[in-house]
Amino acid sequence: MSRMRRNDLFWAGVFIAPTFLGLLLFYMWPVLRTLFISFTETGPFGGSEWVGFDNYAALAQDSALWSTLWNTVKFTLVALLGIPLALVLAALLSTPGLRGVKVYRVIYFLPVVTMPAAVGLIWRTLYNGEVGVINAILGTIGLPGTNWLSNPATALYAVAVVGIWLGLGTQIVIFLAAIQGVPKDLYEAAQLDGAGRVRQFWSVTLPSISPSIFFISVLAVIGALQTFDLIFVMTGTSNPAYPQTETIVAQFYQRGFVDNQQGYAAAIAFVLLVLIVAVTAVQFRLQKKWVHYV
Amino acid sequence: MRPARFLAFSAALLLGLTACGSGGGGDAADAESGPVTISYGIWDKNQAPAMQKIADEFHAANSDITVKLQVTPFKQYWTTLQTAATGGGAPDVFWMNGPNIKLYAGNGQLLPLDGAIKEGGLDLGDYPSALVDLYTLDGKTYGIPKDFDTIGVWYNKAIFDAAKVDHPTDDWTWDDFQATARKLTDPAKGIYGAAAPVENQAGFYDTIHSAGGHIISADGTASGYGTPEALHGIEFWTSLVKDGASPTVQQMTDTSPYDMFKAGKVAMIWNGSWAAGEYNGIAELKNTVDVARIPTGPKGSISVIHGLGNVIFAKTKHPDAAEKFVAFLGSKRAAEIQAEAGAVIPAFNGTQQQWVDSMPQFNVKAYIDEVADAAAYPVSKETKTWNALETEILTKVWTGEVAAATGLKELATQMDAALAKEQ
Amino acid sequence: MSDTLERTAPRVTGSPSGDPAAPVPPEAGRRWRPQHVGVHAVLLLGSLAMLGPFFWELSTSLKTLGETLVLPPTLLPAEPQWSNYRDVFDTLPFGQMFTNSVLLTAGRVVGQLVLCSMAGYAFARFEFAGRGLLFGLFLSVLMVPSQLFLLPQYEIIASLGWLNTLQALVVPGLFSAFGTFLMRQFFLSLPRELEEAAKLDGANHWQIFTRIMLPLAKPGLIALTVLDVLWSWNDLMWPLVVNNDPMAMPLSVGLASLIGQYQVNTTTLMAGSVLATLPVLVMFILLQRQFIQGIAFSGSKG
Repeated sequence: MSRMRRNDLFWAGVFIAPTFLGLLLFYMWPVLRTLFISFTETGPFGGSEWVGFDNYAALAQDSALWSTLWNTVKFTLVALLGIPLALVLAALLSTPGLRGVKVYRVIYFLPVVTMPAAVGLIWRTLYNGEVGVINAILGTIGLPGTNWLSNPATALYAVAVVGIWLGLGTQIVIFLAAIQGVPKDLYEAAQLDGAGRVRQFWSVTLPSISPSIFFISVLAVIGALQTFDLIFVMTGTSNPAYPQTETIVAQFYQRGFVDNQQGYAAAIAFVLLVLIVAVTAVQFRLQKKWVHYV
Repeated sequence: MRPARFLAFSAALLLGLTACGSGGGGDAADAESGPVTISYGIWDKNQAPAMQKIADEFHAANSDITVKLQVTPFKQYWTTLQTAATGGGAPDVFWMNGPNIKLYAGNGQLLPLDGAIKEGGLDLGDYPSALVDLYTLDGKTYGIPKDFDTIGVWYNKAIFDAAKVDHPTDDWTWDDFQATARKLTDPAKGIYGAAAPVENQAGFYDTIHSAGGHIISADGTASGYGTPEALHGIEFWTSLVKDGASPTVQQMTDTSPYDMFKAGKVAMIWNGSWAAGEYNGIAELKNTVDVARIPTGPKGSISVIHGLGNVIFAKTKHPDAAEKFVAFLGSKRAAEIQAEAGAVIPAFNGTQQQWVDSMPQFNVKAYIDEVADAAAYPVSKETKTWNALETEILTKVWTGEVAAATGLKELATQMDAALAKEQ
Repeated sequence: MSDTLERTAPRVTGSPSGDPAAPVPPEAGRRWRPQHVGVHAVLLLGSLAMLGPFFWELSTSLKTLGETLVLPPTLLPAEPQWSNYRDVFDTLPFGQMFTNSVLLTAGRVVGQLVLCSMAGYAFARFEFAGRGLLFGLFLSVLMVPSQLFLLPQYEIIASLGWLNTLQALVVPGLFSAFGTFLMRQFFLSLPRELEEAAKLDGANHWQIFTRIMLPLAKPGLIALTVLDVLWSWNDLMWPLVVNNDPMAMPLSVGLASLIGQYQVNTTTLMAGSVLATLPVLVMFILLQRQFIQGIAFSGSKG
C-alpha cells in the first residue's frame, strides 16, 4: 500500500507540476507581490518606500471606498437574482419533447459570445431616457420611464440587469445539463405520490441539481464582486449617478492607474481578495445546509 | 490523432514556444552606426496615415533609421504607456499631452531635448509660446509642440435661420450668447439653445479665464477655483441649465450633447478645433453648421490652448536616432504634411493656412485668431487627480445638488490638498 | 469502449443513448405539443430580450453615420449599407488581426487542454498528502480580482525578456486554475472500473491517462475549449500591455481602436463587432452538444 502511495505522489508531481509551477509564477507570485506593494508607497514609475500599515489605516477611514464597497455588494445581490431566472428558463427548456431546444440554446447563449465593446454601447442606446426603446415600450403599457443610467436611484440596477443578461447563457446551459442528468425514476416516484410538474421541480429537480446551483452561485458572487468594465463602460465618471455605481475595483483602478498611488491600490485589492475568500468560505460552509450530493 | 501522439505534439509545441524566449525583443545590440529601428507611439488612428508619411519621408532622408508606428487606442494609451515605461519598454518617441507632461518629465522618464533642438536647427519661436511653456520644466524643454487646439462655438445655421436670429460673430459678448441661447430654446420642437456639459477644456476653463480667473496658480501650488472670477465663469454654464436653455446633466449623460448637436437638437455647442474635421466629413453637417470665436467675457475672449508634443523616452536605446526623428517631427515639412491631412492644426507658425483652406465653408480662422490671447492649459504633476475632483464636484453643482459657491470652495480645498501632496 | 461506459455509468438515465444533450425521439414530441404553448410563450419573450440588442447591433451596422445620429433613433436603416462591412477591412488590418486572435487563442487552448487535463486527472484520481490543501490553493487563484495581475505579470514578462513575443501572449494563459477545476470535476464523474482493470493489467499512470482517460474526456475537453476561446477572444488589456507591434494586435484591440478620443466610429464598430463575433458563434453552434455534455458531468458535483 505504501508503495502505491509513493507511486501516486511521484505521478501526482509529474501531472500537476507544470500547471502548479505556471500558476505559482504567474498568479500566486503576483498576489504576494501585491501584498508586499500594499505595505509601500510607490512612485508612478517604480521606486518604493516602506510605509507599513499606513495604507490600511487610511483605507479604514476612507468613506468613499466603503461606499463603493456597498455599491459592489448591492450589485452582487442583484446579480444573484439571475440564478432563479436561469433555473426557470432551464426548466422550461427541459420540458420533455419541446421543439426547437437547439435554437433556443443558441439564442440564449448569444450574449455570452458578443464583443464587450459593442455591448455597452448598444445597451446605453436602449436605456436612453428620451429616445430609448425601453422607455418606449414602457410608454405603450402606460408605465413611466426615466434616465435609467443617469438617475442615481436606478443606475446601479440598470447595469446589474445587463450583467444578468450577459451571464444568463452560461448559467442556463449548465443548469440544462444538470437537469438532464437527474434520474427519471425520481420523477416517476414523485408523480406516483401525486406531485404536479411545479411540485416536482421544487422537490425533485432543485435538490438534485443543487451542486450545480452551488457551483454557479459561487462563481456568480466572485464574478460580481470583481465587476468593473461593464459599469465603467455604461456609466462614466461624469455621470451624476456615478457615486452610486462606482465599484470597489473601479476605486482600485482609479487609485492605482490614475492617481498613481499603487501602494494604496494594492491595499484595496488585498482587502477585496480577503473579502472574496471570506464570502466564498461562508458559502462553502452553508452548502451543508442545502446542497445534496448523491 | 491518437491521444498520446496529440500530447507529444502539444508538448513539443509548448517547448518550442518557450525556447523562443531568448531570441525575443527587437534589434540586436548595435552601435548607432548600423541600421536602427525606432518606435513611435501615437493614439489616433485617423492621424496614422499622416504620421506614416512623415516617417517615410524621414526614412528617405535618413536611410539608416526606420521608424515603426505603434497605435494604441486613446482609452488604453496612458495605462499601457506607464506600464511600459516602468518596465523600460516605452516607445522611443511618443505623443505627450498637457495633463501628463509634468508626470513624465518630473519623474525622469523623458530626455531633455535641448540638444536635439540645437542639432536639428529648430527655433522654439516657431511655435505658440504657451505650448512651448507647457512642455518646459525647470528651464529644460522636454517636448516639441506638434499641433494645437483652441475652443470655438459651433452653431446650427438652420436653427438660427428658422428663428430669424443673427448668426454669431467673432466679437459677440457673453450677454449676446446667453440671450441667444434662451431665444433659440424651443421645447415644442425639442430644441435647446446651447448645451452646457460638465466639460473643462471646451467649457469652464475658457469661461473662467475669460472672466479673469485662473485654474491653477503660476507656481502650481494653489487652486484658482475659490475666486469670485471662477464662480462667474461657472455660473455662465449653470444658468443655462437652470433656465432650461441647456439639456439637464442626466439628459446629457444619456445622450452625448455633441451627438445632440449633430442631430440638430442643440443650436450651439462649444467644441475644439478637432471637431472641424469631423463635421466636415459628415454630409448632413458640412453645410449646416459653422463656428465662431468664443464670446467675450469681462476680461476678453480667452480660450485655453492645448497641443500635443513629441517626446523621447529617457531610457531609449537609440537616443541619437530618436533625436533626429524628433527634430524632423518639429520641422516645417512635418507640419505641412499634417496640414495636408487636415486632421489637426499643426503647431509650426505659418503652416496653419492649409488647414483653414481645407474647410472653406467653415469660419475656422476663428480658432487661429484665438491663439494670440489664449491661456495655457492648466496642468500639474498629477493633473488627473484634480481633474477627477473637478468632474465629481462640478457635476453636483450642475445638477443643483450643491450650490455653486459651496461647491467651488470645496473643490478649491480638495485641489489644494492634492497639489500639496505633489510638492 | 462506449458500451462499457453505458453499462457502468450510474447517473445518465435521462435518454436512451446516455447522452444528456441528445434530442428526444419525435414520437414524444408530437404527443406533448399543445401543452407547450405556455412554455414557448415565455421562452420566446426571453428570446426577444436576448436578441433585441443584437438586432440593434446589426441594424446600426447597416446604417450611415448620419442615420445613427438621428434622434429619436430609427429602427431600420433606410437602405442597408453593406459597404460598412467593407469599411471594416479598410479601417483595420482585419485579416491580420483575425490571424493573431486565432494564434493567441489556439496557443492558450492547446496548452490548457494538455496541462489542465493532466492536473485535473491527478487531483481527481491520485491520493497524496496535501492534496486538499494544494487544490484549495489552486481554487484561491480564482478569487483574485483579475485587474491585480496586470502589472506584476508585466514585470515578470519584461524581466524574462519576452516583450513583443508570441509566448508573452500565450504562456501566462497556459496555466489555468479554472481549467484544472473543470477537468477535475469531469474526471470525478467518470467510473473507476476501467482504470482499476487497467491497473490490474499492469499499466502505469501515464498509460492509463493517455490510453483510457483522455479518449473519455472529449466532452470535458470540448467544454474547456469553448470557454477558453470565449475568454481569449475578447482579451484586450494583456495584448496591449505586453506587445506594441501593430501587426501583432488581435481583433479585440482593433475594435477598441475604433473608439477615438473624441468620437466613435459607430457603424464600423458595430460591423466589426458582428464580424468578430461570428467565428465564435459558429464554433458554439457546431460544438453545442459536446459542450453541454462536458459541462453536464462537471457542474453537477461539488
